[in-house]
Amino acid sequence: MDTDYVIIGGGVVGLSVAWGLLKRGLTVTVLDGDDGSFRASRGNFGLVWVQSKGLNQPRYARWSQHSAAIWAEFAEELGQNTGTAVPLEQKGGYDFHFSEESLQTTVEKYEVLKDQLDGDYPFEVLGHNALRKEEPHIGPKVVGAILHHQDGHANPLKLLMALAADVRRMGGRVLTGKTVTDVTKPDGFRVTCADGTTVSAGKVILSAGLGATGLGPKLGFKAPIRPQRGQVLITEKLRRLINRPSLIARQVDEGGIQIGATNEEVGLDDGVTQPGISDLAAKAIAAYPDLAKAQLVRSWGALRVLSPDGLPIYQESAEMPGAYLVTCHSGITLAAAHARLLPDWLEGTKTAPDLEVFSEARFSIS
Amino acid sequence: MSKRDLVVIGAGPAGMAAAAKAAGLGLSVTILDEQPRPGGQIYRDVDRAARVRGDILGKDYSYGASLTAGLRHTAIDHISGAIVWAIEDGFRISYTKNGRGAQIGAVRVLLATGALERPMPLPGWTLPGVMTAGAGQILLKQSGMVARDAVLVGSGPLLYLIAAQMVRAGTPPVAMLETQTQADLIRAMRHLGGALRGWRYLLKGAGLLTEIIRARVPRYTGATGITVEGEDRAQAVTFTKGGRKQRIPCETVFLHHGVVPNTQAARSLGVTHGWDEEQSCFVPTVDDWGQCDIPGIFIAGDGAGIGGAQAAELAGRLAVLKLAEELGRLSATDRDRQALPLRAALNHELAVRPFLDAAYPPFAEASSPADSTVVCRCEEVTAGDIRGYAKLGCLGPNQAKAFGRAGMGPCQGRYCGLSVTSLLAEANGQTPDETGYYRIRPPLKPVTLGELAAMEQVDLNAAE
Repeated sequence: MDTDYVIIGGGVVGLSVAWGLLKRGLTVTVLDGDDGSFRASRGNFGLVWVQSKGLNQPRYARWSQHSAAIWAEFAEELGQNTGTAVPLEQKGGYDFHFSEESLQTTVEKYEVLKDQLDGDYPFEVLGHNALRKEEPHIGPKVVGAILHHQDGHANPLKLLMALAADVRRMGGRVLTGKTVTDVTKPDGFRVTCADGTTVSAGKVILSAGLGATGLGPKLGFKAPIRPQRGQVLITEKLRRLINRPSLIARQVDEGGIQIGATNEEVGLDDGVTQPGISDLAAKAIAAYPDLAKAQLVRSWGALRVLSPDGLPIYQESAEMPGAYLVTCHSGITLAAAHARLLPDWLEGTKTAPDLEVFSEARFSIS
Repeated sequence: MSKRDLVVIGAGPAGMAAAAKAAGLGLSVTILDEQPRPGGQIYRDVDRAARVRGDILGKDYSYGASLTAGLRHTAIDHISGAIVWAIEDGFRISYTKNGRGAQIGAVRVLLATGALERPMPLPGWTLPGVMTAGAGQILLKQSGMVARDAVLVGSGPLLYLIAAQMVRAGTPPVAMLETQTQADLIRAMRHLGGALRGWRYLLKGAGLLTEIIRARVPRYTGATGITVEGEDRAQAVTFTKGGRKQRIPCETVFLHHGVVPNTQAARSLGVTHGWDEEQSCFVPTVDDWGQCDIPGIFIAGDGAGIGGAQAAELAGRLAVLKLAEELGRLSATDRDRQALPLRAALNHELAVRPFLDAAYPPFAEASSPADSTVVCRCEEVTAGDIRGYAKLGCLGPNQAKAFGRAGMGPCQGRYCGLSVTSLLAEANGQTPDETGYYRIRPPLKPVTLGELAAMEQVDLNAAE
């Protein structure tokens, strides 16, 4: 056996899990794609986010809260190990509303969830004037916001780089430029790549993002995931204009203002369109009118990795025990949970989190 | 949104010649150009500057006025000061002019975006007082400004041209540090046959050199270890020649080691590019009409591979013959008949290129700079940083960009793209083609969010 675990996919999800397994003294080989692969890990928005998640599944809200709660300590450790900080700010985040009705409807949903979570859902509603005290540059069209104190944001690219460095530092073997073509289990697992590379392993984790749609069925998974495009903008570096992040905009640690994101069902097209970015610009200006003068320096499209209900999938294969599907949309928020908590589930220890609600069984009802 | 038969991006020699030819064939043409006046970089501001500074800038420069004259045709809408920031399928071209967003539709698009100076990352190249030789020449063309106490560093015909122009202006450079070597010249001799077919260029080069030598400008060829020294700004250039370290005090340093195609617009459309070993740069893959693998998109001039101004003109006209035939304005027979003399002239123009490319190759030290040398000026990323990202698994520039922000700044990677590709290729033991290039996306040039947002409601015919 070459390695205890082979992890297919070297993005934030795969590397977070690899990091956690390596910390437990297990041996890990990560198979990563090339420069042109679809990589949600370098196109995402960078929020470490709790609010609005799990409105229909409180376990998902809890899982996100748990990850957010241990994120700072995780980032700190990565920063110390690699000598490069992973910027993180967790002083709350907003959901802006442009009408009283939508604000009210959302608050009602949050109240229901709050009860289901035994009151652990610290949010407050800010009217326009209260919001203006927190965010002096907010525009008159914003009628109010929900401020959730468990929200925050990180530098997702620094996270990706820290993971790439620390996984290697801990002895993880990362093979790049690999496209996995087949996985078999004659005895242990045998993973074959397009270039002829083979790796034998005790266990296999499929965390290849959209790549799981092709590979999943070979391992006995349904892997019912689809791409959803999000276009994102970033401005020139500006003086401090935004205090806390929202789903509309956040000011990144380097100074630029990142604006997101569209939700488009366009298959594997990660392109940028003028109507898409004009729409984002208009929304951002409605929230922060000063942004009208800001120069847009970059835009990009990235593909979300979505399950039918938007929740993560954690599933061990029935056909090939020892093979696991680990996939989610919120790889940044859940990075800490994947690094710190998921290894217990993979190793089947007594402290393993109960992830039953995230199994593929939920997709079997037709 | 109005739709034109042809939209040309760039009013340099290729774009101007193409627009005039297309109008002559009855096509409706819009030519979008960033500059306030037509000419491109080579004939920049020619309508004004040729009158006042023609003696310094030379006959070849003044010739450009014949091309700008061709734009004065009723079928040509020349929109100056137009910053094109997106070209999308269909084709829909978005640009800003005077702080307002506008769009125009096109049945065919000709990219005539020309060349960029090859970045020349050397120790000290980011100090104030250091600029590209092309930037220095723009100052001369537009305002007649000539730098005093300037050292020219690098290689190639443009370096000689600028030196000669400085001599004519009465402020010759303090020295020329030429990076080409004797070995390069010997290698170039293999292409002497072609060079002799392009004898006019050799003669022109010899004439420029004579001017430089007559002015007693010190020349140091085969210089290595070139470093710009200075605290707050450039104060001297140091280098090694024949085993001896030398230092030349100066106020200005002009860097130049050739030009490379400006491929940003073509790349944003997903046009296939390949590495050109002779020219040491990426070029879009086009057929002999300038048509690329995206139907309807043509590329002409230096943007399709460096050939110079005369070749650009010819390529612009050839592209128009093909697209006019596709649009039913010309029979295939007429197209081919008209193309014949253009092709003959083009072959003649390009004959000298292999010799020039071999005799004046890019400076090796700038293709693989020392670890401490900055390669991405916008985000201050060093060559050592890029090598470090290769160790972290970055096979190509898009991964390196995510890790270190190289190419994320306002220049959109124009000035570090080739450096980052060559550093990663070297570090990973891969070819430039395997390594690849930045994924280029809109905006091709920065645009304000206000301009973007206004486009939702803008009357798409407002540009008319």
